Amino acid sequence: MCAEKSEVLQGTLDMMILKTLHALGPLHGFGIARRIEQVSEDVLTLNEGTVYTSLLRLQQQGWIESEWGASENNRRARFYSITRQGRKQLTVETENWERISGVIGRVLRMEPEK
Amino acid sequence: MTAGLYRLISRIRGLFGRKEADAEFGLETEAHLQLLTERFMQRGLNERDAYFAARRQFGNTTLLRQSHRESRMLFSFPNLIQELRYSARMLFKSPGFSVIAALTLALGIGSTAAVFSLIQGVLLTPPPYQEPRQLMLLPSARTDGKKMDSPRGWPAQQWMEWSEKARSFQGIAAYQWTFNFLIRNDGSQSMQGMFVSRDYFRLLGLKTVLGRGFDDSDFGQGGHVKSILIGYEFWQRALGGDKEIVGKTVRISRWDSSPVVIGVMEPGVRFLPSPGNAKEPNYDVNATVDVWAPADPDPKTLKNPGWDVVGRLREGASPQRGQQELAALAAREASAEKDFEGFSPKLESLMDEMNQGARRILLPLLGASALVLLIACGNAAALLLVRGLQRQQEYAVRIAMGIGRMGLLRQVFTESLILAILGGASGVVLAILAVRLFKVIAAHAVPRLDGLTLGWGVLGWGVGLAIFAAFLAGAIPALRAYRLNPMDVLKDAGPKGTAGIGERRLLSSVTMLQTALTLALLVGAGLLIRTMVKIAQVPSGYSMSRILTMSVTEVQSRDQWMPFHRQALERVAAIPGVQYAAFAWGVPLTGNNWPVAIDIEGQPPPSRESDKIALPLRAATPDYFKLMGMELIDGREFRETDDGKAPDVAIVNEAFTRRFFPNRNAVGRKLWFGSRDKPGIQIVGEIANGRTDDLTQEPIPEVYFPLWQAQAFSKHLVVRTAADPRTVVPAVERALKSVDPTAAIEGVKTLEQIRDDSLASRTFAMHLLTGFSLVGSLLTLVGIYGVISLSVASRRRELAIRSAVGAQQDDIRRLIFTEGFRLIAGGVLAGIVLAVIVSRVLRSFLFGVQPDDPMTFLLVAAMFVGVGLLACWAPVRRAGKVNPLEALR
Repeated sequence: MCAEKSEVLQGTLDMMILKTLHALGPLHGFGIARRIEQVSEDVLTLNEGTVYTSLLRLQQQGWIESEWGASENNRRARFYSITRQGRKQLTVETENWERISGVIGRVLRMEPEK
Repeated sequence: MTAGLYRLISRIRGLFGRKEADAEFGLETEAHLQLLTERFMQRGLNERDAYFAARRQFGNTTLLRQSHRESRMLFSFPNLIQELRYSARMLFKSPGFSVIAALTLALGIGSTAAVFSLIQGVLLTPPPYQEPRQLMLLPSARTDGKKMDSPRGWPAQQWMEWSEKARSFQGIAAYQWTFNFLIRNDGSQSMQGMFVSRDYFRLLGLKTVLGRGFDDSDFGQGGHVKSILIGYEFWQRALGGDKEIVGKTVRISRWDSSPVVIGVMEPGVRFLPSPGNAKEPNYDVNATVDVWAPADPDPKTLKNPGWDVVGRLREGASPQRGQQELAALAAREASAEKDFEGFSPKLESLMDEMNQGARRILLPLLGASALVLLIACGNAAALLLVRGLQRQQEYAVRIAMGIGRMGLLRQVFTESLILAILGGASGVVLAILAVRLFKVIAAHAVPRLDGLTLGWGVLGWGVGLAIFAAFLAGAIPALRAYRLNPMDVLKDAGPKGTAGIGERRLLSSVTMLQTALTLALLVGAGLLIRTMVKIAQVPSGYSMSRILTMSVTEVQSRDQWMPFHRQALERVAAIPGVQYAAFAWGVPLTGNNWPVAIDIEGQPPPSRESDKIALPLRAATPDYFKLMGMELIDGREFRETDDGKAPDVAIVNEAFTRRFFPNRNAVGRKLWFGSRDKPGIQIVGEIANGRTDDLTQEPIPEVYFPLWQAQAFSKHLVVRTAADPRTVVPAVERALKSVDPTAAIEGVKTLEQIRDDSLASRTFAMHLLTGFSLVGSLLTLVGIYGVISLSVASRRRELAIRSAVGAQQDDIRRLIFTEGFRLIAGGVLAGIVLAVIVSRVLRSFLFGVQPDDPMTFLLVAAMFVGVGLLACWAPVRRAGKVNPLEALR
């Protein structure tokens, strides 16, 4: 079915969230969703709820942590921040991603031989 | 890897505090939705539209909460309970199926758990010594690698040097087996014990429960034992657990001093092997020790090889290093002293040696019970599979409704798990009963069985095996359900009790496998049964029936010996119903093999100690050979007058003559103990061979002496009666007590009982294997019946068409019959291959039969094919009755 496709997406979402938290510091789920929306320029549309699934998974792996705080409009919100392990993981994943996307890019750019 | 671990931990943690996490998550999503709504409102939507837009963008909150909850926890608890309840309800709805499946599993789980309990109790429970793995026995072996005629101990001079010089050992201690009687006015009590050297208890790490252990003051008493320790079990059994025992004096036969009991040892302490005494009739290495006494090497007999030696390896020292070191020491000692020549110590791990006997019998039985478990799992799997077929509709609907493949898989496994737990529970009950039974019937077959206590272990094995069985039995049905295509099933409307060709093939191969396993069991049982038959046919050389034996010992002084035995024989012989009575040392099959170095006329004088001839010696009163039916071939029998005043005489057996005087007469030749300068012992008779040591071994050379000359201390009273020998027991005991009330009378058994005991491990293995193979056969036959029945049910339409176009009933029957025959024959062939491989583990139990005995294989295979075809009979008949009209419906 579509198991493989969503898995890739899941992993990608995880990485995007990690990167967001790494770049912007502690954020709540809504903030993360906004940031991804902004950066992806509507190429990537997602059910924002899935952000929370990602967040839970990242937290279980010890790559992010969370605490309750007050949001901009003074509501209670849960703020997520990246951990040291998370940073390490991000470096690893970024390298991986760049390597693979570089390869794929090269393959896709190949001209037919004349 | 670590991330995975983190996840697991947090998921386990997630099992607790579920409510708070749910509430927090609710708050979080709510806040998110609200912010999103506000955002849409800022863009100009009204509140209502903004809310719905926010909901749309956020996604399904209920689904999210559900998946959040599931991934937060290791497994979903509420779901699990629901599934358990659902499965239980489904099983309860079809009680027939459930009971059969659970009982099937119970048989497999019960038999395996029972054997596991034996293994745990006998093999895996360590002896009460500290760090028993470090303990090494040091028996002696010939340096030229030849087999020793009889085991030999070590001289004190040698082991004392080892304990001083061997670097790879923490210490070395020596011991001797001893046998005596606790003298009591109302019948004395035998005691098996050990003389131990100074370091023994420290080296083994044993503690007393009462009183103290030996210290230096107990040693160095110059042969007079002043203090003893008694074993916990002996204390309970013979002394009634007397709390005041410490400090009391006891009288012990043959000891000139009356020692004081200084302590009671902790429970469960058994003997270390004394190979040199292994052939003493009273020697039982697996018994608990009754008594310990301190012993110092006597400076006068430092060169006598009478000690058994045990050492404890140093932390980290390998047995090989210990072996090399001791071998080097022994070689140096041998070069300095002629008596020590030709022997070298051979390290053996105590644990290995201890478990040898039990492992020999228990491991094959474990294998057999595992086969039964596999067969049972096969049946349960087939049952579950067929049930799964009947429920395809339900599964399809559930998939269509969104249960998810994993959910369905869980459902199927939950059902098989419940069945297996039910089976496991009844299996544990079965196992407990079985172990109780084993303790009664297998006391002589499995060493140290008396120490076996049924603990929680059996329950643990039961549950563990049940879970194992659940996965094994559930795997095939679960996979089937997993790969189910709901569309196909839903299109084929209506429930059905049939199976497609794929399922039937799967079931057939399961049944074939079962048949193969069953055949292996049957072959094992068959081989053992044939062994027992062969043993029963062996000419023993003596008669077994109507002979009563008991060990009778006069425990008073040496002077009392002659009068007691003469009088006792007179009185016992006078009892009505007694035909003959005799005393004998060396009654057949009692493990009596008292080996003594002997010098025989015509044999070259031994140049080295290790070349000396050592033979089992026996002694008997004159009527013994007549009583036992052992035929005199040459010369004369013993006479009443062959006593201390007459010249020494002996009777040998045929095997003796054949070995030492081939083609000549033994009668008239001479034997000597020690020096040939003495007058020697004249051979006056020769008797026919008898398998007195072991029914499965060729007769060995034997020498008999007149008991009145040899005056053996331990011996049996042997009585031949006109009728059932057990009826005279009270009269015989009364007669003996009337001569001396303190005499010890123990081990009252008929010779047939002694024979059965000597074959106990074979008999036990045979009974168990026969039982296992019957259970396995029954299960497999049910399996064959089930598969063929299912096949007939599934092929009804096909069969109807066949008969509509002209097939006769016979053709249809033949069709199904062939299917059954193929199934059975395939299984039997595979089983023969399997049996050839596994029957080898039984080799040490077999006698007169090879593990690949073609007779057994053929018989068993033919029998099973026959019975298997019987199981096909009912479905075949059913197939013949299929109405051709069914094809039209």
